[in-house]
Amino acid sequence: MKLIRLFRSGLIVGVLLSTAWMPWFAMDDVSAKTEVDKVAIVTPASRSNQGWDQQGVDTLVAIGKDRDIEVEVVENAGNDPITPVLRDLADDDVDLVFCHASGYQSECPEFAQSEGVPVVVIENPDAVLDGLVADIETQAQKVAYLAGVMAAAETKTGKVAIVVSGEPPTWNYMTAGFAQGVHDTNPDVELIYSVIGEAAYDDSPNAKRVTETVIAAGADIVFGMGDGASFGMIQAIREHNAESEDEQAVRFIDVIGDKSDSEAGEFLMTSVLFDYTGAYTTMIDDLEAGTFGSVYTMNLENEGVRLLEPPIEIDPATMEQVEKARQGILDGTITVPTISDAEELETFLDDLAGDQE
Amino acid sequence: MNVIETLLASAMLAAAPLMLAAIGEAIGQRSGQLNLGVEGVMLLGAFTGFVVVEAGGTVSAGLVAAMIIGMVVGAGFGLATTLLSANQIVLGLGVALAGEGATGYLFRERFGLSQPLLDAGMSRPLHHFAGIPVVGPALFDQRWFVYLAWALVVGIGAWMRYGRPGLILRAAGESPFATEAAGVDVQRVRVIAAIVGQGLVGLGGGALSLVEVGFFTPGMTVGIGFIAIAIAMVGQQRPLRIAGLAIVFGLLRGSGTAIQLTNVDVQTEFLELLPYAGVLVLVVLMGRQVRLPRALGLAYDRESRNA
Repeated sequence: MKLIRLFRSGLIVGVLLSTAWMPWFAMDDVSAKTEVDKVAIVTPASRSNQGWDQQGVDTLVAIGKDRDIEVEVVENAGNDPITPVLRDLADDDVDLVFCHASGYQSECPEFAQSEGVPVVVIENPDAVLDGLVADIETQAQKVAYLAGVMAAAETKTGKVAIVVSGEPPTWNYMTAGFAQGVHDTNPDVELIYSVIGEAAYDDSPNAKRVTETVIAAGADIVFGMGDGASFGMIQAIREHNAESEDEQAVRFIDVIGDKSDSEAGEFLMTSVLFDYTGAYTTMIDDLEAGTFGSVYTMNLENEGVRLLEPPIEIDPATMEQVEKARQGILDGTITVPTISDAEELETFLDDLAGDQE
Repeated sequence: MNVIETLLASAMLAAAPLMLAAIGEAIGQRSGQLNLGVEGVMLLGAFTGFVVVEAGGTVSAGLVAAMIIGMVVGAGFGLATTLLSANQIVLGLGVALAGEGATGYLFRERFGLSQPLLDAGMSRPLHHFAGIPVVGPALFDQRWFVYLAWALVVGIGAWMRYGRPGLILRAAGESPFATEAAGVDVQRVRVIAAIVGQGLVGLGGGALSLVEVGFFTPGMTVGIGFIAIAIAMVGQQRPLRIAGLAIVFGLLRGSGTAIQLTNVDVQTEFLELLPYAGVLVLVVLMGRQVRLPRALGLAYDRESRNA
């Protein structure tokens, strides 16, 4: 009996020891990975929103086509926990997952560590881990500053509106940059800042109502950050312009995507374009080279973020001002604030408004 | 228009889809049927109307199509709950979920990655008087459908309150067995009520996409269907009360932006919550006086006396 008990104990210990080692054997040695065959991207909203989500998906799909890499798209994942989705992707043997939302910035690194599947996160440099987690930082505030210069130079009513569908870091960077650009160009221009909702990225009906209100308040240029909600802003402007004289027409500055070919093309001044090509390509290259796990910053300098060529006519003097500002940013004579926190942004905007009074 | 005028005009416009949905639900509730699927029916109406107009149809055709799809769903709901004794709560929730899922799927199938927007083309018949300060735009600068919506709501309300069909409807909702004994086919009354009521709900959805916003996006109702159910109950199926509550909701929703423009320091989350919290407060305050039909939500089975 004693022997049986001893044998049983030994068996249990043996099983426990072997399972403790299993995760280590289960994880691929990603640092030595040589070829990427399949990648995935998870987006919170629809890939057809001509904004944040579509820009990421379209870019990755284009890269996939170019490099013969299979791309799996998981859209409309929302802002709730996506671990089940990530596990499904792991079961599908993806080599890399792009977690395309700042809301996934904690969950994805945890998943990467537990499942051994490399991930790319947004706006979380502290999560970077060799071979497992890379991060994309989008420093769009400098380009947003240029958009602010354009808006301040072009407004006829002296009122410019910023309409946002939430206050995530990416939007806040751009709001601050834009506001500074407006203020530096013409401190008398009044900024109207309106938030549609806490995470109203797809709430286009409300976006339309909010935009109608800021137009009623006198804004003739709207800087809109909305993703899907942008369509509401665009519709509000379309309807206003259809019922107004030409000189009362309202114009739009977009973000992330290029809506020149849409109904917005008639009044689209420019867009703060996000181009993920460089970031995504670098990360895939890094994974194949075994050097994955760094921060990639998209900014004015590397043209990861840039201003869209105006689809409508803009005064050449304005464009000269914008180019001068761009040179000023590049040579360091112009400093653009880097504000990601909503409360800090509120204080910043209040200070700018206070300077006006 | 200044901010106040825009806020009032926007509230009047936003109230139209909501009060149509509420009066439609009220008809069903009067007959004893509680349909929690208003959200789904509104989405189906919004999508159907939008597809018709985007394909080249007139706005009127789109609105009629929206109403028809609502009537079809209403017929299904009415038949299922009367002939098959389906649970109204479960079925209604199923309609809500199915409507949202189906419209999202169909929208992607039909439009792919594009987001079409409709041209603003509805006439404003009373525009001439819109210059009156403050209330002018809200009362006289509306698209023709808003006035039609008001006429429908008031007319239906009067019909429900004073007409013989309204009396039969109320009897079917209060005491279905006694009503049956008096020679009225309660099941038939309920099915007709469901068809007419959900037809109006679908019309409300069509008004949302075609009249108020000018496009369709999946999930665009954002809970308005459930607000309509609450308003139908609290409004006691009275048209002016229903319309008033719908306008209050519209005002609260628009006031968030107006408050932001005044630079008053209020959390965004609170402003977003304001219209829904406002309805909740009204439901609590007015709810004590609410007297719902006795047979509301209960299946009516001629052979038993369980309803």
